[in-house]
Amino acid sequence: MASNYPAYDPAVDAPLHHHPVYDYDSGPPVERGKFAIWLFLATEVMFFSGLIGSYIVLRSATDTWPNPEDRLAVNLTSFNTFVLIVSSWLMVKALFAAERGDRAGILKWLGLTILGGCLFVSIQVYEYWHQYHNELWPSTDLFWGTFYVMTGFHGIHVVVGLIWLICAWVAAARGKYTSTNFQGLELAGLYWHFVDLVWVLLFTIVYLF
Amino acid sequence: MSGDKHFNADRVFVILFILTAIEVAFGILGGRAYLNFPKAIFWGGLIGIAIWKGLLIAWYFMHLKFEGWIVKGLILPTPFLIMVIFGYVIPDVADEESNLVHPVGSQLEHTSGAVYEHMADREAALGGGHGGGH
Repeated sequence: MASNYPAYDPAVDAPLHHHPVYDYDSGPPVERGKFAIWLFLATEVMFFSGLIGSYIVLRSATDTWPNPEDRLAVNLTSFNTFVLIVSSWLMVKALFAAERGDRAGILKWLGLTILGGCLFVSIQVYEYWHQYHNELWPSTDLFWGTFYVMTGFHGIHVVVGLIWLICAWVAAARGKYTSTNFQGLELAGLYWHFVDLVWVLLFTIVYLF
Repeated sequence: MSGDKHFNADRVFVILFILTAIEVAFGILGGRAYLNFPKAIFWGGLIGIAIWKGLLIAWYFMHLKFEGWIVKGLILPTPFLIMVIFGYVIPDVADEESNLVHPVGSQLEHTSGAVYEHMADREAALGGGHGGGH
């Protein structure tokens, strides 16, 4: 509906003593999404530090801790560690493609990243399944209790990361990301790299120590 | 993210791959009794390689190298907070004599409810075909 009044003209209509309009953002000098994800990751670091600290206390108070190689499939999990590192590298490739505005590249590299994550989860589920059939529960003994808590919480993080990456893949397929605006993909990538970083430490502590 | 954040991702990946291979070999072979590695060297070597890999991932893959002081200021205090956490657990780690009725390392046999104070006792009992504990 057409207005009966003329268009707003600041030269005519603005009050003489109006408030100044600032041309800068009063927030921190970093994108808000990135600020939030790094703050979140800092809390996640503390969460896993608590778990590892508890593991150290429990293990050091135990006279006879078994050699992990006697109880766990170290070779298979070593392969799984390589899978997650490859997946992290593919995620970097996807971000480089996003910087170039290469949509097909994003879909290819991000798709491979997701496949790597799925393979990691599948191998972990297979490992759990094998232990389930051998009646090795968290309540069996302290070794299995700490094993399931640490690898289980990490596994949940991997699944959350995979869901996030799949959402990012769908967004990329819909053309949401451009060479100048792909922060959603970058945040998903940060989380995925963090999951990889945590696994690097957990693998060493749980499987090799 | 701007274009000035490029780095040689392939090179970082290859370094991570080699470090992981070294770590796995060291971890598996170092755990063997016949090599008789001192624990300090064995554990120190493993955790050193793991931290090195973690720093590579954070510094390059997570672009921490290219971030400003705000992001670095968010994440850099966490190592000190981790040291505080680990500092608090030192008394528990250093004191090998526990006051608990069953030491922390006791093994619970979930089928019989028996508690074994040493894993070797539990495995011997299970291996012998009877489920009695201490």
